[in-house]
Amino acid sequence: MSTPPRETIQKQIQQDWANREYIEVITGSIKKITDFLNSFDMSCRSRLATLNEKLTSLERKIDYLEACVTKGETLT
Amino acid sequence: MSVSEKVSLSDALSNVDVLDELTLPDEQPCIEAAPCSILYQANFDTNFEDRNGFVTGIAKYIEEATVHANLNELLEEGNAHAVMLYTWRCCSRAIPQPRSNEQPDRVHIYERTVQVLAPEVDKLLQFMYFQRKAIERFCGEVRRLCHAEKRRDFVSEAYLLTLGKFVNMFAVLDELKNMKSSVKNDYSTYRRAAQFLKVMSDSQSLQESQNLSMFLATQNKIRDTVKDALEKINGYEELLADVVNICVHMFETKMYLTPSEKHMLVKVMGFGLFLMDSEVCNINRLDQKKKIRLDRIDRIFKNLEVVPLFGDMQIAPFNYIKRSKHYDTSKWPLSSSPNPPSPQADLMVHLPQIREEHQNYISELARYSNEVTTTFKEAGSDSENKAVTELCLRGLQLLSSWCSVLTELCSWKLLHPTDHASNPRCPPDAEEYERATRYNYTSEEKFAMIEVIAMIKGLQVLMARMETVFADAARRSIYAELQDFVQLLLREPLRKAIKNKKDLIRSIIVSVRETCGDWARGCEPQQDPALRGKKDGEASFTIKVPRRNVGPSTTQMYMVRTQLEALISDKSGGRRTLRKDLDAATLTQIETFHRQSFYWMYLLNLSDSLQKCCDLSQLWYREFYLEMTMGRKVNKCMVRHQHNEECNDLITMEKRIQFPIEMSMPWILTDHILRTKEPAMMEYVLYPLDLYNDSAQYALTVFRKQFLYDEVEAEVNLCFDQFVYKLSEQVYAHYKQLASSMLLDKRYRAECAARGASTGSGAGRYASLLRQRHVALLGRHVDLCALVAQRINADMHRALDAAVAKFEAGDITGVVELEGLISVNRLCHKLLSRYLTLDDFDAILRESDHGVLAPYGRITLHVFWELNFDFLPNYCYNAATDRFVKCRGIQFAAGVSREKPQQYGHALLWGSKQLSLAYSAQYAQYVGFVGAQHLHALVRLLGYQGVAVVVSELLDVARGLLHGTIAQFTRALAAAMPRHCKLPRYDYGSNGVLGYYHAQLTDIVQYPDARTELFHAFRELGNIILFCMLIEQALSQEEVTDLLHAAPFQNILPRPFAAEGEKPETKQKRLEAKYSALQIVQNVDKYGTAKQGQLSREGDLLTRERLCCGLSLFSVVLRRLRACLAAPQWPAPPAPHHHAPAHTDDTNEFHRLWSALQFLYCIPVGDTQFTVEELFGEGLHWAGCTIIALLGQQRRFEALDFCYHILRVQRVDGKDELVKGIPLKRMVDRIRRFQVLNSQIFGVLARHLAADEERAGVEHVRCFPPPAAPQHAIN
Repeated sequence: MSTPPRETIQKQIQQDWANREYIEVITGSIKKITDFLNSFDMSCRSRLATLNEKLTSLERKIDYLEACVTKGETLT
Repeated sequence: MSVSEKVSLSDALSNVDVLDELTLPDEQPCIEAAPCSILYQANFDTNFEDRNGFVTGIAKYIEEATVHANLNELLEEGNAHAVMLYTWRCCSRAIPQPRSNEQPDRVHIYERTVQVLAPEVDKLLQFMYFQRKAIERFCGEVRRLCHAEKRRDFVSEAYLLTLGKFVNMFAVLDELKNMKSSVKNDYSTYRRAAQFLKVMSDSQSLQESQNLSMFLATQNKIRDTVKDALEKINGYEELLADVVNICVHMFETKMYLTPSEKHMLVKVMGFGLFLMDSEVCNINRLDQKKKIRLDRIDRIFKNLEVVPLFGDMQIAPFNYIKRSKHYDTSKWPLSSSPNPPSPQADLMVHLPQIREEHQNYISELARYSNEVTTTFKEAGSDSENKAVTELCLRGLQLLSSWCSVLTELCSWKLLHPTDHASNPRCPPDAEEYERATRYNYTSEEKFAMIEVIAMIKGLQVLMARMETVFADAARRSIYAELQDFVQLLLREPLRKAIKNKKDLIRSIIVSVRETCGDWARGCEPQQDPALRGKKDGEASFTIKVPRRNVGPSTTQMYMVRTQLEALISDKSGGRRTLRKDLDAATLTQIETFHRQSFYWMYLLNLSDSLQKCCDLSQLWYREFYLEMTMGRKVNKCMVRHQHNEECNDLITMEKRIQFPIEMSMPWILTDHILRTKEPAMMEYVLYPLDLYNDSAQYALTVFRKQFLYDEVEAEVNLCFDQFVYKLSEQVYAHYKQLASSMLLDKRYRAECAARGASTGSGAGRYASLLRQRHVALLGRHVDLCALVAQRINADMHRALDAAVAKFEAGDITGVVELEGLISVNRLCHKLLSRYLTLDDFDAILRESDHGVLAPYGRITLHVFWELNFDFLPNYCYNAATDRFVKCRGIQFAAGVSREKPQQYGHALLWGSKQLSLAYSAQYAQYVGFVGAQHLHALVRLLGYQGVAVVVSELLDVARGLLHGTIAQFTRALAAAMPRHCKLPRYDYGSNGVLGYYHAQLTDIVQYPDARTELFHAFRELGNIILFCMLIEQALSQEEVTDLLHAAPFQNILPRPFAAEGEKPETKQKRLEAKYSALQIVQNVDKYGTAKQGQLSREGDLLTRERLCCGLSLFSVVLRRLRACLAAPQWPAPPAPHHHAPAHTDDTNEFHRLWSALQFLYCIPVGDTQFTVEELFGEGLHWAGCTIIALLGQQRRFEALDFCYHILRVQRVDGKDELVKGIPLKRMVDRIRRFQVLNSQIFGVLARHLAADEERAGVEHVRCFPPPAAPQHAIN
């Protein structure tokens, strides 16, 4: 294989830099998306936990009230 | 957006950027390590795959790159084998062994054994082949480099380092092979089975098998093979000296990033020196020739006595030296002496510095992070980027240094286990691993470790958050520096080289420039005068260097650095070095570039580097110790006695797969915080737990062993349960103590504190822990808040249950304490509700009281029980103190049997032992009597409904008494009464009157049961009446307090003071206006819905009108009692004819009977006897007077009573003598006292009865029909 002229190689290397920059940009964006997804996950978990807590509390209240108003038999 | 729609790149990128703008609130304080559900790491390491792209580079280095690529692959393979050996668990222990040759299923057993073990044995075979190949390859490289021609040539840093890595690999593999006896056992099990089955039939495989078993059985096989092979190579020691020197150089100039790299350098020094020292070569002589510097190595070995070898295996690198042939103590003054101990053993030495570094760094980081988040920039300037990159690198280095301090401490501790003599807490029969971990750290050290872990993990979170910013800045800055260096800085040396015709230098520089130059126009500017060796002329020539957001590739970096190193190296294969042809300024520049660019690869791989710098996973791994002890625990005779031979039979071996959590570092640290309850450390408690995440991550990604992950998981499950249990217990106890001490009187509390009983609760910093809604553990997210809330809710239920049960175990006086307990619990609930969602307190109370399904609860029932069985029969009322007390003498009722009090923990009652003591001292004051406090507490606890239940039950008891015992006695006594009993004339004198009555009433006086049973029954009735009256008083007072509290909200304001001339109305109006915001009804009307308005109006009406109709409980009680007296069961005399004149001498009416009884109890008793007051209290009089009043006989009683008559007569004659053994004067005094009492009672009753009649709408006009004598009556 004959060595291509210097300029061609330099151009190829420049092209390589450009390609790798492109890859970096895409990688960086994917990284940003993962970061976003992670914080979205955290935020959702936090809110869902709050919601879950409220629902649990309401359920327990209903249980209590149901017990208060019934005399032995359960509401269906 | 539809799928087919095309999105341009810039749109896509801007879409990604927009993601940042979405706000994603997460309301929990960050007190745990970086939680991430998704981990994204891009790896651009090509391992020189792209080397052929750089054809313009110098061929020698491209060839070297090929070698590097191969060696790296070997290193990776070696690491895989190391993992295989380290994680090897003994299989043969689990395989059944045929017991005898006759066993019928032994063929089957052997077959299965071979089948199971064959794949494992294959791994061992591969391992043996690998080490052969690696040694061969390594020696081949050494031989090539040591060739006489090559020897003086320059060997690149990267090359030497790779050789160093090989040396390290051999050391690790050899130690692992030596240590793993289970590998040998497994193999011999396999071999036995295989030989039996004749699996290995051909001679070759037999030979291989023989080789393998020899290989496995020979200790230090790899080490010795390497040493032998090396010794055959001429001049190998000089190459190894270079390797050792480069390690020393890199260690001293901190040219490493991760802790494992640092430790690798030290291991290479030790093992390298060991390899060098042989028959032909003496390291001491090399030292003399300045080929190596033993004094520097000595210092390094002293500072780092023990380094981790692999997992929990560690090694003292100095031991290699000690084992070498020409070991000379004098050459190693520091390492060879045990004193002073290595600084590595003492974390406390490092702690202040670490704290300071942490403090400084995070403040700098915070400043920068604020800058980044507040201002948006496309890309910073070069200098900004460089500053950020340096900041980032410094962060990584700090993390790494802290991490290595920690791992080095653990390694040192593992190699220096404690024992009973040096640590008395350590029991003499503690296990090996226990001595290395559990008992090997002082409390201070544990706290320091926790703190360092927290700093590492905390900073990791901060840096990970800024990772994209850091990575971006690093790429831009590295690109700029590289291109500036290549395109601008290297121009001048290039020009000189061309001008002075230094062809080699020129070719190297050109090659560097061409390898990584990124020219603005695609290629090198041909018109550059430097290329022709000329200086820039007048028409200044400028090169515009472009900027990009990308770093160089790994191969590029390698090429540039190695070629530059060739320029500045002081070795060049016999020729004069190239250094001499470069001027000093250029040399410095190149050297600086070379030094700085070392860290670039770490920065370009930021997320990977960050993770490696913070990896503390090895704190959990203990394969080495498991292998050493086989998880055995020796159980000995535990009975305390003189042990004899029989005890030896009790010694058993317990075989375990894992150590218990008490010996596991992450749990030791977590538990230490929980155990000491140190408030300053409480917020760090999640960080030690994160070590499990590290270990699990390591098991999955590096070890890739399912069983290790499973074991981590199992331990986490266990630990986390314990953690939540202990934490919630603590949180509850803390808030209980807080509530208790808040309710304790301030001065009393001070008094307690002065006497050494601390009633404070200490500072508990649980707030941020209680806000953790997603704690990341092994990829799961746990809602810690909810878990703790669930447990504390249960604790609340149990605490109230305990309070009620405690009340049930005692008498009625306990009601005050019960109220106290409930209010403490209520406050505790309120304090906790700030953080946790708990059940409604009243709901919990009702549930614990069992009052949800039943109309009345346990408290009400117990109150009634106690009233009925203890209070009514045993207590005596005393109006002077307004209390009921127990008669100390005779008890008329059977003793009350109560449930045995259960023992409850302090947390369930008052919070702590001291608080329990303080409160029990306080409530001891309320025992022994029933007074206003008790009644108030009763009213508050029972409420309207409970009071109503109790009172109506009491009325039933009263009816029973009236119609039962009392009616019976009344009939019996009425029969004993004289038919007529006059009021004797004054002429008889008081002594005569007394004598007369005594004679008349002798039957009554001598009636045996009068003083006991009869009075007792009256006392019970009286107590009922008193109780009902007093409880109503308490109730009214409570109501009034309520009303007063409610008043400001109902527009009821106290009348303002009006000075002379002021109109009170205007002042009132002004006040009303001022407090209008408080008025509920108005406000709800204004802002609420119609329904809410109506509700508030009704509520207001209820509060306002509650007392206005003046319902009186006691009046009702009296009315009911009157009804009982009107019932046929009551022995009433035949009704006299309407308005008949009174027959004053008749004795058939009740008041006459009562007069007789009064006579009886007015007779003074001797000193040793009990008086009726002592025995029955005023209940007796209340009962009698109430019956009289209700029967309408009050006036007749007052007029005709025997005793009153004696009193009247005695007032006149003032006599005092003994009449039939009765001292007259004392009797009269008693009569007087009881007369006062009776009239008081009548007064009270009259008021209630009158009020009752008024309400009943009885007209106040009285008609007096003309009197009619009985004899004139019709019929």
